Amino acid sequence: MSDNTTNEVPGHGPLPDGGLETSADIAGHSGPVPEATVAQLKPFGETAALAVGVAGWFIPGMGHALQRMWGRALACFLTVGLLMFVGAKMRGNLFSSGGNDAFDSLGYIADLGTGSFYFVAKSLEKEGPDVSHADGDYGTRFLATAGVLNLLAALHAYEAARGRKG
Amino acid sequence: MVEFGLKLSHLQAMLLFAVVISIAFGFLGRRRPADRVKYIIWSLFLFLLIGVGIGWAMYPFSR
Repeated sequence: MSDNTTNEVPGHGPLPDGGLETSADIAGHSGPVPEATVAQLKPFGETAALAVGVAGWFIPGMGHALQRMWGRALACFLTVGLLMFVGAKMRGNLFSSGGNDAFDSLGYIADLGTGSFYFVAKSLEKEGPDVSHADGDYGTRFLATAGVLNLLAALHAYEAARGRKG
Repeated sequence: MVEFGLKLSHLQAMLLFAVVISIAFGFLGRRRPADRVKYIIWSLFLFLLIGVGIGWAMYPFSR
């Protein structure tokens, strides 16, 4: 786990949202880069970083919360949650594993991207999907977008845990 | 319990989508608050511009 409790990189000042500076940021900074700073870019081991990514996928925002990036954690949780809620309330199509074609399978993968929220969306859609109207079609896109956005956030959390992103 | 269905117009759905995605991109892509605000506003503007632009580009084929 990170021991960087002050969210501060020596010589670079405090960073908002608990983010560590990236090597690219440091490279753009004038003066030599201290070794300690580079070492702090990898606060997690590979296995722990993978666990952070999986946690971020299963519970949107959890991957960032584990790294004390509270703003990003809250933003991920709320945006993925809102997209999922609106999509379900618009009666979008939530794909299941028994798809008929490749598009159904891709839709299922996208929907599964929301992690545990997939089951929340299932419980919200008591009357099932209705894509005979534009609302249902938009809802389907909202649900898929929520999943893909959460996958992106989980990947970001994983990369941040490996020290590749700030 | 009565199940309520959410009804959004095309414009409302596009606005909601653009705002939510812009906020997510802003928080994930930038660290400093000022940079985030700038990124969110710029991203939102581009989402709406391109969305309305594509809508107008499809107008001749809608009838």
